Parts: sequence; C-alpha cells; structure tokens
Amino acid sequence: MNPPGTCRCRTRNRSNNREFRSESLRTDNLLGKSAVVARHKPWLPVGEEGSAGESLTTYDKEAKTMNANEKVNILIVGKRTARLASYEVMLRELGENVILASSTEEALRCLLQTDVAVMLFDVDRFQSERDAFDAANAILQHSNLQKTPIIFVLDAPLTDLSEYKEYRRGAVDFISTPVLPELLRNKVTIFADLHCKARQLETLTRDLDLLSEAVIVSDGDGYIEFWNSGAEALYGWRCEEVLGKKLDQVLPTTFPEPSEQVLPALTSAGQWEGTVRRQNKGGQEISVAIRKVLQRSDGTGAVLEMGHDISAQLQAEAALRQSERLAAIGRLAAVIAHEINNPLEAIANALFLVRSHPSLKGEAQRFARLAEEEVARIQHITQQMLGFYRESRTPISVSMRTIVDDVLDLQGRRLQINRILVEKEYRDDMVVIGFPAELKQVFLNLIGNATQAMPQGGRLRISIRESTDHASSLRGVRVSVCDTGSGIQPQDAKRLFEPFFTTKPNNGTGLGLWVSKGIIEKYQGTLRFRSLRLYDQHVTCFSVFIPGAAVAHPLARDAVCA
Amino acid sequence: MNKEVILCVDDEETSLFLRKPVLEQAGYEVVTAASATQALEVLSSRKIDLLLTDYLMPGQTGTELARAAKNMFPELPVIILSGVTELPPDMEHVDLFVSKVEGPQSMCEKVAAVLSANRKESGTGWKRENRHRRGQRLT
Repeated sequence: MNPPGTCRCRTRNRSNNREFRSESLRTDNLLGKSAVVARHKPWLPVGEEGSAGESLTTYDKEAKTMNANEKVNILIVGKRTARLASYEVMLRELGENVILASSTEEALRCLLQTDVAVMLFDVDRFQSERDAFDAANAILQHSNLQKTPIIFVLDAPLTDLSEYKEYRRGAVDFISTPVLPELLRNKVTIFADLHCKARQLETLTRDLDLLSEAVIVSDGDGYIEFWNSGAEALYGWRCEEVLGKKLDQVLPTTFPEPSEQVLPALTSAGQWEGTVRRQNKGGQEISVAIRKVLQRSDGTGAVLEMGHDISAQLQAEAALRQSERLAAIGRLAAVIAHEINNPLEAIANALFLVRSHPSLKGEAQRFARLAEEEVARIQHITQQMLGFYRESRTPISVSMRTIVDDVLDLQGRRLQINRILVEKEYRDDMVVIGFPAELKQVFLNLIGNATQAMPQGGRLRISIRESTDHASSLRGVRVSVCDTGSGIQPQDAKRLFEPFFTTKPNNGTGLGLWVSKGIIEKYQGTLRFRSLRLYDQHVTCFSVFIPGAAVAHPLARDAVCA
Repeated sequence: MNKEVILCVDDEETSLFLRKPVLEQAGYEVVTAASATQALEVLSSRKIDLLLTDYLMPGQTGTELARAAKNMFPELPVIILSGVTELPPDMEHVDLFVSKVEGPQSMCEKVAAVLSANRKESGTGWKRENRHRRGQRLT
C-alpha cells in the first residue's frame, strides 16, 4: 500500500535538484538494474522495427509492475531523431523515464504496453498540423489512451483555432519552437504531476476498497457516489445497488443527537464523529462508529464517511458490565444476607412467640401479626437472595416432572383461587442431575409470576419435552411455562432479568427472574421468554432449557391434562 | 409419652433464648449450649434425639461439631441452621441444612421431618433422596 503524499514528495524533490538526485538513485537501486538502463539508454528505435519491438516487450515487463513511487514515463514521438534527442536531454533533469518513438505505430505500441504520463508530439515542418493531429487522434482513439495528455511541439505558431478546438479532447497543450528547456520541463512536469496524482488516486481508491472500514462518499445532496467493499460487507448492499441513491434512504440511520444537529456540526467543524444505529439490507440493526468528513476542497459539499461495526463490541461491553455488576451484587447480597439473617431469625422467632402469647390481647395482637407479616416479607427477600443455597453438596438425579408437579401442588390453592386452568403437556419425563431445591425455586418463580399476571383467571400451560438448544446444539430438556396474562411490555423486556427490576412494586422483590436465570445458567442452560399478542390476549412463554438431560420414561405423546 | 430432646447450639444468646420456646411450643424438650465444646459435654451427659446447631461459631463450627457428635452417636440426626448463603464444605456428617431465613414454622417442620425419618429407619439412616425431598419443602 502506498502512503498518500508520495507524489507531493516527488514535486518537492523536483524543486531541489540535489535532493531529487539522491532520491532517484535510491529509487534506481530499488527498481533494479533494468530501470536504470531504461533511463540512461532511452528507447531509441530509429527505423529498426525489430529491435524496437523487442525493447518494447522488455520495457513492458518493467512498466506493468511500477507503482506510484516510481518514475513516470514520458513518450516523445517524432521523425526527427536529433530533435527527439534534444528534448530528451532537456527532460533528463526531471529524472523521469524518457521513451523515444520514431513513428506513430511505435508510439501506439508503447502507449498500449506502458503507462505513459505525457506524450510529447514533435510536428515537423513538412508535416502539416492536420496530419499531426490526425496521427495523435488515431492514437487517442484507442479507448485506453483517451486520458493520455499530448503536448504538440510545433515549428510554427498555431494559427487555426478551430483545429485546436477539434483536438482539445486529446491534445492538451502546445509548445512552439524554439523550445525553451525551462518551458518544456514545466509543461511536462505539470502533466507528470497530474498523472502521478491520478495514479495516487487510483491506488487510494483501490486501498479504500480493500479497507475493512465501510467507506461511503455522498454528494452535497446526499446521493451516494462511492461505496467500497467494506460498506458492502457491513451493510449488505452491493455497490451497484446503491450508487446514485440517497444515503439516508438506503441506510435508515439513528443519530445519537437529533439529525438536524449533525449537518450544522459537520458544516462548521468539517467533520462529525459518533456512533449511529443503522439498518442493514437484511433489516438488522447494527451499531456503527462513523466519522463523516466534509470534502471542502471541491466545494460541492460531498461527504466522505468511514464506519465500522461495533455492535459486537458494544454487546460484549454491555455483557461484561452486566456480569460485573451482577457479580458485585451477588457478593454484596451474600454478605448482607448473612448479617441480616441472624437477627432476622431472632425477630421472627420473637414475633412468633409474641403472637401466640396468651397475654396478648386485641389491638396488640393485630400489631404483632402485622409485624410478623412484614418480617415475612424481609425473609422472602433475603431468601430470594439466598436462592443459591443448596441442601446438599452432591447433585442428584431429579425428575423434571416431579419438580414441576411439586411446585404446582404448592401453588395449587392460589391457582384455584385465581381461576387458572392448568394444562400439562409432559411429552417426555426428563431427568437432570442437580439440586431439587433450586430447580423448584425456578419454577416456583415462573409459575408464581404467571399466576400474578392472571388476576382475572386464564390458562397456564406447562410443557416438558426433550429438545435441542438452538445456539449450542446441545440436547436437553425444555420446560415451557406459558400464560395468558397481562403480557410483558416491550420497554420492560430488556430489563426483565435485572436484579431488583419489578413490575409489581407492591409485592415483587425484582429478584425472582434474576435468581432463576442464575440458577439455570449454573446448569449451562438458558432461560428465555417470548411475549406475543394473539387477537385480544397476550401469551407469555418462559422457556427453560437444561442441557445433558436423560430421558427417563418417555410418555405417550398425548398431553396429560389436569 | 416422653418428649423428644433437641440440643440447640448457638453462640448468640438472644437467638438461643428465642429459638428455645419456639421449639418447645412445637412439643420438644430443648437443651441449649453456647458452643461446640459445651454441646459435646451435654451430649456425653444425657440422651439427645436431635442436634440443631448454628454453623459459624467461635471455636468449632457447626459441621465440626456434627463430626464429633456423630463419632459419639452415629445415629444422632444433625441439622445445621445457618444464615450463610453457601453450603459449608464439610457437610458429610450433617443430615440437613436449614436456612435461618425460613422462619420458625419451617424450622419446626424440618426438625419434625428429620426426627420422623430417623425414627422410621433408625439404625440404617434414611435414604439420601428422601432426605433431599424433605429438606425441600418450600414455604
């Protein structure tokens, strides 16, 4: 990859001859012997077609491997060998490769095979301007050569302006004899520089395309002018699909600040940086860190934008923050729980004794009962925090069916009071190796939440089946708890598993799902949910997946309904 | 019928003072000890049906006490009653772990469950699975 600015360096060198020479020597060394030969023994195929052809072929091999750091080629075409040699001497000072061609055919061949920066066309006095232009035109007809600038060296000053116009497209400049060396060098230098810049641009464009960064250039009105392969990869749109379309229509973008503020910022500061949310071709939302730069130089208000996908990075950071936060909360919870549990036990025992004490009468009895109820709430909270305690160190094989049935038994009365119809769909009885207490706690939380979501009654469907986890492709058991309750609000969905997040401020601890998820994750399992709106009712499903479960007793496929 | 005797061990006097009458109301005779050393003295001096001990105590912990007690009386059921969140590492001599947070009623139920299981299968020890089941009553 060529660093930008190589050509600027060349221009500077040109104004300082000594420095330039050392540079050219160094380049020669880098290029190897043949390049040096090409410079010092310019291609001079005067009348010898055969040898000229050979030289051309030899030269071609060198030329095609050239890059922007190297010298440019100047082609001098003309029949007058002495003249051509004198131009070559004048131009030698520039340190570029000078190639001489004695006929238009040779010139054409050279142009086809090498990258020529500028062509110097010597028009002799016996050749009419017309012939010279025709010859030049013939050369330039070839589509690949359209861009090659030509400087005509004319013995007589140019008289007919119409001729000039006619060939304006190809013949870019004229110079009259006697040729002033300084003038010739200046003119050639301008074109050599131009050529060099063009080459640099090509390289840059190619590099831009190779960049993994998504580079987009849009004009002042927001129409896409450039779209590199990085942009294709990131946004899914192919270059040809989006060129000429409006950027904001191709990529719906959400800016971190109101979009009306982005443009003024871009105009005043010349650039804007930030992370935006964008929709790719597949409709997926991605986070892209972008930098927009206003191209001031061309005055069109074109904007160059570079961007890269940071969705994964943001997700990883968020996950890390989340897990750090949870770990900290977990440690804190353990310490607090222990410190609270000891006095709490004493208080609970005291209230238990007070409440049933024969001397307690009337109002005092009521106060004691209220105190006991409030203490029970504290106990409930710390028990949720203590959710990880196990009654044994050794895991045992537990039937999921038994776990769920036990929980349904415990909740039986509440389900009945709330007029909730329970549908059991136990397709397989699965056994997992684990701790019954914590597994029960998970389903107690899920079934408890479902019950609370259906104060007006509803249906609770619990299914147990053998399944494969999508993400991990592991086999295991899946238990789904679905209810027809109030559903989950979209804004709550993201925070559902956060500790202390609750939609039931009066009787929720906000720990149930957090603890449950923690338990399931210890089993390398997953706890997910889905909330759908079907017709006029919500269906909310929590799905627990625990891998590595063994099928104990496969049951009949028919659902067992209670 | 003679009441079953529970040896209740805790280094906190208040806890012990309040836990005793709760267990007594549930129909047990309660003997208390403020440390593992004291508890072992009691164990060697009279018949105890169940050892209910705190885990974190100065000197020996509840699980260490359980080991020593089982050495003396292999059939003596031992319940650890604790406020800690993590299960102690040396639980092999303990029949059941009960969290202090479960409240008086749950504690009495679990004590009853362990005692009844011990009566039924006295001498052989009760099955591990059953033990887990019984310990698991969620309130």
